[in-house]
Amino acid sequence: MSVSRRLETFVAFSAEVTAFTPTEVWGTGLTQRYLDTVDGVVGTAMTDALLNAFDRITTQSAGERTAKLRQTVFGCEQLGPVARAVVKLWYIGTWYALPAAWQERFGPAAQDGTFVPTPDAYVEGLLWSAIGAHPPGAKAQGFGSWQFPPGIPKF
Amino acid sequence: MTTHDITSIGLLHRQLFKAMQLEHATAPPYISALYSIHPGDNADAAQILRAVAVEEMLHLTIAANVMNAVGGTVDFTVAGFVPSYPTVLPDGEHDFEVGLGPFGKDALETYLKIERPAMAPRGQARHVQIKGGARHFISHPHDQTLRYYSIGEFYAAIRDGIVYLESEAKAKGKTIFTGDRAKQATAEYYYSGGGRLWPVFDVDSACRAIDLVIEQGEGELKQIFGAEGEIAHYYRFDQLQKGRYYQIGDQPGQPTGREIHVNWEAVWPIAVNLKLNKIPEKSELHAAVADFNKAYREFLAFLTRAFNGEPKLLLEAVPRMFEFRNRMQQLIRNPLPGGDCNAAPTYEI
Amino acid sequence: MSILDRRAIMVDPGVLKNSGHYDAIIVGSGVAGAIIANELAQAGKRVLIVEAATETDRSFKGYSSYLQHFYGQADKDNQSPFPVNRNADMPRSGQLRKLDPLEINSTSYIVQSGPYVTDTVYTRAFGGTTIHWEAKTPRMLPQDFQMQTLFGQGKDWPIRYHDLEVDYELAEREIGVSANVEDQQYLDITFRSSYVYPMHGLPLSYLDQRVAAQIDGSEVELYGERYPLRVRPFPQGRNAIPNQKYDGGKGYQPVGAVASHQIDVGGRCQGNTNCVPICPVQAKYHAGKTLAKAFDTGRVDLLSQAVASRVVIDSASGRVTGIETKLYHDPASPDHHTIMITGTLYVLAGNAIETPRLMLASGLRSSSGLMGCNLMDHAYLLNWALMPQICGTMRGTTCTGGIVELRGGAFRRHQATFSVDIHNDGWGWATGSPASDVVELVDAGNKFGADLRQAIIDRVSRQLLLAFMIEVLPSESNRVSVNPSYTDLLGNMRPVVSFTVPDYTLRGAAYARQFAKTVFARLGAEDHTKYDPSDYGFVTYEGEPFAIRGGNHLAGTHVMGTDKATSVVDTNQRCWDHDNLYLVGAGSMPTIGTANVTLTLAAMAFRSARNMIMQLGRLHAPVQT
Ligand SMILES: Cc1cc2nc3c(=O)[nH]c(=O)nc-3n(C[C@H](O)[C@H](O)[C@H](O)COP(=O)(O)OP(=O)(O)OC[C@H]3O[C@@H](n4cnc5c(N)ncnc54)[C@H](O)[C@@H]3O)c2cc1C
Ligand code: SF4
Repeated sequence: MSVSRRLETFVAFSAEVTAFTPTEVWGTGLTQRYLDTVDGVVGTAMTDALLNAFDRITTQSAGERTAKLRQTVFGCEQLGPVARAVVKLWYIGTWYALPAAWQERFGPAAQDGTFVPTPDAYVEGLLWSAIGAHPPGAKAQGFGSWQFPPGIPKF
Repeated sequence: MTTHDITSIGLLHRQLFKAMQLEHATAPPYISALYSIHPGDNADAAQILRAVAVEEMLHLTIAANVMNAVGGTVDFTVAGFVPSYPTVLPDGEHDFEVGLGPFGKDALETYLKIERPAMAPRGQARHVQIKGGARHFISHPHDQTLRYYSIGEFYAAIRDGIVYLESEAKAKGKTIFTGDRAKQATAEYYYSGGGRLWPVFDVDSACRAIDLVIEQGEGELKQIFGAEGEIAHYYRFDQLQKGRYYQIGDQPGQPTGREIHVNWEAVWPIAVNLKLNKIPEKSELHAAVADFNKAYREFLAFLTRAFNGEPKLLLEAVPRMFEFRNRMQQLIRNPLPGGDCNAAPTYEI
Repeated sequence: MSILDRRAIMVDPGVLKNSGHYDAIIVGSGVAGAIIANELAQAGKRVLIVEAATETDRSFKGYSSYLQHFYGQADKDNQSPFPVNRNADMPRSGQLRKLDPLEINSTSYIVQSGPYVTDTVYTRAFGGTTIHWEAKTPRMLPQDFQMQTLFGQGKDWPIRYHDLEVDYELAEREIGVSANVEDQQYLDITFRSSYVYPMHGLPLSYLDQRVAAQIDGSEVELYGERYPLRVRPFPQGRNAIPNQKYDGGKGYQPVGAVASHQIDVGGRCQGNTNCVPICPVQAKYHAGKTLAKAFDTGRVDLLSQAVASRVVIDSASGRVTGIETKLYHDPASPDHHTIMITGTLYVLAGNAIETPRLMLASGLRSSSGLMGCNLMDHAYLLNWALMPQICGTMRGTTCTGGIVELRGGAFRRHQATFSVDIHNDGWGWATGSPASDVVELVDAGNKFGADLRQAIIDRVSRQLLLAFMIEVLPSESNRVSVNPSYTDLLGNMRPVVSFTVPDYTLRGAAYARQFAKTVFARLGAEDHTKYDPSDYGFVTYEGEPFAIRGGNHLAGTHVMGTDKATSVVDTNQRCWDHDNLYLVGAGSMPTIGTANVTLTLAAMAFRSARNMIMQLGRLHAPVQT
């Protein structure tokens, strides 16, 4: 995969597993940073394996994609924990250390551990927009906004 | 030509409309630049831009208050209120254009021009002959060949006009302050740490309001700090160029405060003066930008209501503005297909 | 004027050689020290503030570095914005663990001597703990001042509500409190006629309104008396809409950011939901705002990175002759040199742990023997549930409303009162939500994509956390002490805390749990509360388990009273033993009721400052012939 194709596939995969649109995923400004994070922890070969697995199913229908993702990505002993870490990274902005069992079998992933890749990661966590709120300490919604029902975006 | 530029209430309304147009016109450029800055980087530059943008909003509110006080109509939805960028400023400063784009050295040059201090003495000398092709904005209220040297001159003429028209009216036992007081936006509905807001209903309250705009803007008579110790916009930006903060007692051009480090690289490369038709139609991004413009148009209609007797709406306007911030940031981080540039709101209203 | 331009802020220790001309030496730049510094300076007195911390947040850059530091931490603990400074250390909850019987944990800054382990914290930073506080500012109830007389429990104050009323108003002005008098007139709280708060109250959150819709107008019965329930807004020290009626119609001008006009960030509260641990826009009051005014007078100097280490006494007169202070040069290194600082009056404003710690480390136990004793702190009991509908949790200030009708009543003969906070930030305090929810839904729930997104909405937007702030009464065995075996990097003795949650409080906690269940039932909310036996705050009462959290409202450790034998300070917070030494802050409070302590300690600071000015006047008065 070319460098730009790789990034695009990562964005498409991220959009798929978070249920946010590619525009919203790009909109975090963190796409490259996160791809680098994944590469840094599990190595480019394993990241490629993840992206290729996703690439193979992109033309299928939404329902089929979900089923396939369960079988070949989230249900894969090797790729599953990585995929889950990516989902958590997007939602929370923290890379959560891979399970010890994974490390034993597929490691060592030297850079693994629980960490925040960059201060913006916290601010851009998708969790907050999902619930129509904002990360505590950033992107405030304005005086008095809290008295109204939340604007939970449709998806 | 008389010593007064503004010789009728109609002209006053016209100039006040331009004032509102002017205050609004600078906001999208400042805000685009502000959000082009990577968060976390350039805290000083971002804060300076933010402070200036917030005060432009205050100035817009003040201009609207004065307009309402003298019986004019505040309507941000009229065609042409939002300029097509790039644009010259509505006060008639034609020697430079203002556009939408990323924060950078060139942009900073433009900001310094926008906020340049009033240089000319009172009266006629505050005008400059227009050279070359004038754009769509009329500058001098009744002499198309003249423009103001700076925003300060433009406002000073409005102030003089108000004083003159009111004294004329008084002589006939009348007043120009015929507006409905319920339309005034006051501090309860709007404030930020830097600015004050009071109801405008006579010459004194109007002149104080206009003086505040002048003082917060370019700073009059080479004063870096205003009466309340607030630093003028021109000097705020000048600090970024000089790489150092001003402190009290400093001479213009020679700040001696804390050093400012500007990282000119930590900026999203947003397309300059982007237009919607440059984004592939039917793309998700196209829809998102169009959506932003639509929401902005609705917001201007909402603000118009606020200034027409429902000042409480200004409280709700704040959360909406915060929502714009999130949307803008999102667009600014989206690459445009096939180029090295990123998207941005286009403000095609 | 911009604070960046204020001169005479940081004094060169060399200049201090002739510092005898300071009218007052104040140890600590927290809200107590700041108010006194400003009041004295406004009265023309010369003041030196000695502050152990560095002064990072004096500039905007420093303030925003706290924020970036906070964003960048994976574990956003209470103190995460504040970098470690081992020369002026502070408690951090991450360092705690459950103790075995008789075990002592000295790995945390506060040595925990148990049996109860408190996770209470305070912040040693320029401006003190208010940089970190939540800024709830209720007044104490009049009945709180007479616990012994009215209920046969705890102690009476030597002064009454009425004596403090005007000072409460001054404190509300200084802090810039937003509230409506009509919402705050409950139980026996009174206001002077025509009084209004500086700013209008903040609106209740949507979550508060959903709770109110089900419980307002309902009642509970306790010891035969009925108490009506209602969700009320709390008074808050954060900028809202100024009240034009304030000050006889003059209105109130909110105080902006410390770093002043260069950067305009002292605006109206924006609902960052992050008041604790740090407000990004400085809408929340912190002592830096008062200090800025004090520095403006040109009569207040600040010596930072200066740790007061010993109060030196003239044994004959009992008067303080100086404060031995350790100056360090770099927070990362224990290198320091020691100087003696002298002035006319001395004021210790280090908070209810650090002030008695310093006194005890100086061998000054008070003739009453009560220095460090009677440590109080509110005991928090958390109860959490899922509302039946989406409530938009995670928005607004940390807390806008709560249930306060049980702050007072005849039941105080038997059990502690409480005030209930409705938390707008969900279960975070109890469970680490919402990050913990996402982790669970992804890892154990095997969710991703649209399923996950919907599950997060259902799980987080419905969260309700009721935090019961329960009264704790004074008990001599609950205390701060020092022990030469436990010192910090500079060789100063660290505080050792011994604490047992009193039965009176636990009876209140047991009722609080029952009360929460009743409220949840009225709301149709799904109770998810559980207390883990391995929790460091785990206690049992009559077989029932509870996890008690610390309240960050430390008090009582240099108690105020009417005589030398039974108290440490007089009603002006002056030491009975040392007539030029004041110990100010919540440490002087004989009881704390269910009021977050800061408004009251601020009010007392105004009272003490007046007395100091009088005392200085007497000392300096020309001799009459
Ligand atoms: C998370 C949290 C939330 C809170 N929420 C609320 C609330 O909602 N409402 C409320 O009323 N209260 C609240 N509080 C409590 C409130 O913050 C404190 O009561 C208040 O800040 C105490 O002020 P102080 O001036 O007495 O002490 P501090 O603010 O602690 O200041 C003491 C200062 O003295 C300095 N110092 C200490 N020892 C020395 C020494 N030896 N030499 C030199 N300097 C020294 C310290 O560095 C510090 O700057 C909260 C506290 C926390 C932690
Ligand atoms: S809610 Fe936000 S803006 Fe308001 S005081 Fe708290 S942190 Fe500051």
